[in-house]
Amino acid sequence: MLPVTKKWLFLKISSAILLPLMLWFIINLVNIYDKSYFEIVNFLTTQPSKFLIGLFLVIAYFFSALTISEVFEDYINDKKTKNAANKVLNFFAITIPVITIIVIFNLNT
Amino acid sequence: MEDRPLSPHIQIYKWHISSLVSISHRITGIINFFAITLICIWFTLMLLGESDYQIIKIFLETFLGKFILIGITWSFSFQMLSEVRHLIMDLGYGFELQTTKITGLLVIFGSIVLTILIYLIGRGLI
Repeated sequence: MLPVTKKWLFLKISSAILLPLMLWFIINLVNIYDKSYFEIVNFLTTQPSKFLIGLFLVIAYFFSALTISEVFEDYINDKKTKNAANKVLNFFAITIPVITIIVIFNLNT
Repeated sequence: MEDRPLSPHIQIYKWHISSLVSISHRITGIINFFAITLICIWFTLMLLGESDYQIIKIFLETFLGKFILIGITWSFSFQMLSEVRHLIMDLGYGFELQTTKITGLLVIFGSIVLTILIYLIGRGLI
């Protein structure tokens, strides 16, 4: 399979998984944003929200990295700049969800 | 190809509903990347504890805080509907000129309706 085909497939699969997670996440975000500290921590540390947020973050950053790299492909001509931009993007797409998931697992009510 | 032309030529082509939805899809995708990062920072700040969190809570309750929340909700809504449109097109449907216009308009106006629905459901109003 060609790398571009594989990328397209990953993009479509992650997109299909992400859709219900996005809907679930945004509804809950609207619900919790002005709640008290303990209510938010309770939401983040209890199941199934703990698992679903982790899954949402991993898939969302994976999907974002793939789509934004396509934007780089279309608008950045210089190969070195494009590679550097992709490296920075991938670095954040890995570290941010990992750190956030570790934080969520270390929060206590 | 080293010197291939960049695309799409947004400065050259005449704007259509499809091009508007396409470029908005990309912009909301980038906005969502930063929005989710902002939310991750918010979750990480929970580690500061209850007393320090009060500052963030006060900000979230301001007009700007609510504006950002509604903006993120719209950006998510647009991205979701546009992604559904893309997935349907990937299955080989909706390529007719008239259909692309209708589905494009559905994404634009549907995202506003979906934002209101999500807000009402999230706030427990329906």
